[in-house]
Amino acid sequence: MDEMLKLKLKRISRKNEPYLFLVLLALCLLIEVRSGQFFAANNLVDIASALIVPGLFAIGAFMVIVSGGIDVSFPALASLSVYASTTYLLSIDYQGGVWLAFLLSILIGAVLGLFNGIFIGYFKLPTLIVTLGSTNVFRGIMQGALDSKQLATIPSGMREFGTSALFIARNPVSGLTSRMPVAFLVFAGVLILMFLMLRYTMFGRSIYSIGGSEVSAHRAGYNVVRTKIIIYILVGMIASAAGVIRVSMMQQLHPTNMLGMELKVIAGVVLGGTAITGGRGTLLGCMIGTLLIVIVENSMILLGIPTSWRSVFTGALIIIGTGVSARQVISMHKVKSRSIKQPIRRGA
Amino acid sequence: MKKTLLLVLAMTFLVSPFLFSAGQAARDDGYEIVVVPKDSSNPWFVRMKEGVDEYREETGLNVYQRGTAQIDATLQAQLVQDLIAQGVDAICVVPVDIESIDPVLEQARNAGIVVITHEGAALENVDYNIEAFSNVGYGAFIMDNLAEAMDYEGVYTTMVASLTVGAHNEWANAGVAHQKENYPNMTLLAAQPRVESHDNGDIAYNVALELFKAYPQLKGIMGTSSYDAPGIARAIEELGLVDRVFTSGTGLPLDNAALLESGIVKSLTLWDPAEAGKAMASLALKVLNGEEIAAPVDLGIGGYNAMTFREGSNTTLEGEGWIIINADNVYDFGF
Repeated sequence: MDEMLKLKLKRISRKNEPYLFLVLLALCLLIEVRSGQFFAANNLVDIASALIVPGLFAIGAFMVIVSGGIDVSFPALASLSVYASTTYLLSIDYQGGVWLAFLLSILIGAVLGLFNGIFIGYFKLPTLIVTLGSTNVFRGIMQGALDSKQLATIPSGMREFGTSALFIARNPVSGLTSRMPVAFLVFAGVLILMFLMLRYTMFGRSIYSIGGSEVSAHRAGYNVVRTKIIIYILVGMIASAAGVIRVSMMQQLHPTNMLGMELKVIAGVVLGGTAITGGRGTLLGCMIGTLLIVIVENSMILLGIPTSWRSVFTGALIIIGTGVSARQVISMHKVKSRSIKQPIRRGA
Repeated sequence: MKKTLLLVLAMTFLVSPFLFSAGQAARDDGYEIVVVPKDSSNPWFVRMKEGVDEYREETGLNVYQRGTAQIDATLQAQLVQDLIAQGVDAICVVPVDIESIDPVLEQARNAGIVVITHEGAALENVDYNIEAFSNVGYGAFIMDNLAEAMDYEGVYTTMVASLTVGAHNEWANAGVAHQKENYPNMTLLAAQPRVESHDNGDIAYNVALELFKAYPQLKGIMGTSSYDAPGIARAIEELGLVDRVFTSGTGLPLDNAALLESGIVKSLTLWDPAEAGKAMASLALKVLNGEEIAAPVDLGIGGYNAMTFREGSNTTLEGEGWIIINADNVYDFGF
């Protein structure tokens, strides 16, 4: 029994998430000590609400990184699909629910994702290069062909969706209120579906195996090209949903608002212990990493960090966090190589 | 059939410029003054055209605005070259790109054409450049607005796009200096005297959320970028702080109509491109008439009737052309 416990502890200690969770907890406690505001109900709701869009982006980015690539086009993709669908709905004076905005945007997102997927999967070009290019293509279509402008009004369905709340948290001391957006359910739903897919479906497992080694995955019988194309279609769909949520919550459409988010999102995913080379990582770690970034981004003032030091602090946290993950990977490799060497020695 | 149609279309395109430009060439009396905006579709410059047209009707002079279809430095330079070739008397330009327009403006001046610019203080080859206001004056104006909303008392802080954006920080510094001189019951939040929004409405919103949580005594935020005040307003509304905390700053009317009408934001500040267009034409006329341009310059337009030279410059004139946007006039501008 005692042996079992030891073995279990050992296995946990090799994982990345417990360490990350401790870092997260330490940060939360630090903010609480400095401001006395962190664990207030309204602040927790604010954090959850700020997590929705980066969280959805992170789910997509996670899938791509696990498959061995780095996608930087998702903010531009989301901007284009939400801009195109919103302007269309405005032009037909659509008064119905938000579902049509989601549907249109996700459809466009799937097509744009297919565009990425064909170049990456079928023509076997490196993801980073393709998506750097498609970022410009998407942005160009939005700014050139669609002549993007800031839209002060959005369709009524989106406006209602953006302000509707699951519940309202109220701080008993300060009396400040915060809404928990209904959009959080979309995020939770996508997260659960993705978790089940990665864990229990053949497709989910094939993402990991492609990331580990494309050649091996191919020889093991996985259809690499098809898997990759589907990955990018899914990323396009998830990112576009995030775009609709962002616009609905802001109540206005700023076409360039999401551009530039890719680096923070990728940092969060890597911070969560996902190997940047692909093949390894957990959705749980990815979410903790993203949450860490979101909390840091939204707690600088609570922490009392002066504006001029903000980016230094964020950068330092990313280095420390990813450093911890990287150390874990190295020590895991050591354990592995030892266990390989030992039987050889015994045999000799 | 297809070919004929194509031919007809092509001929129409070839002929149309002559057909439509006929009206402008007909007037031969007096000066011909042309205003060249950055482009002709941006609502900002559509509004400028309204001012220019109004000026033509008021004065009866041959003043008109002509812009390129899209914002493009090369196209703008070509347009100015065309105007030089036409031999107009004065060109008023809102430059897209300083580097590429400057040599063209030199050609214009060599051809004896009066060159007036707007928002082009760095240009060398101009007769005069007009700025709607000085950074110091505008900062103080935003502060006046915020102070009025805050009832001249309480703690406030300032928001800029980033600490490296020159104009925003000059406005904020001037606002703070103006408060210290005139509103003794207001104090700047010492712990966070300046925060950043990165020209992003969502970041402005999140930063404001945090500020109000961390500093319950905070009563106002002075915004500078046009994304600041709308983002802050969203936080004010969500936190349930309407009419207890306030914000003011730069903002475009139609983008913020809902906020102003609901009373979450009492007023925003801006300058009116129509007035700037009129001011350029009026100054061009003065120069053409050989009037001496010495400070204070009176262009006969509200906000531009006591213009002074920017410190260290003998070409850039600064006015007091700021305006207040509130629930009453938000729909008057068309942008």
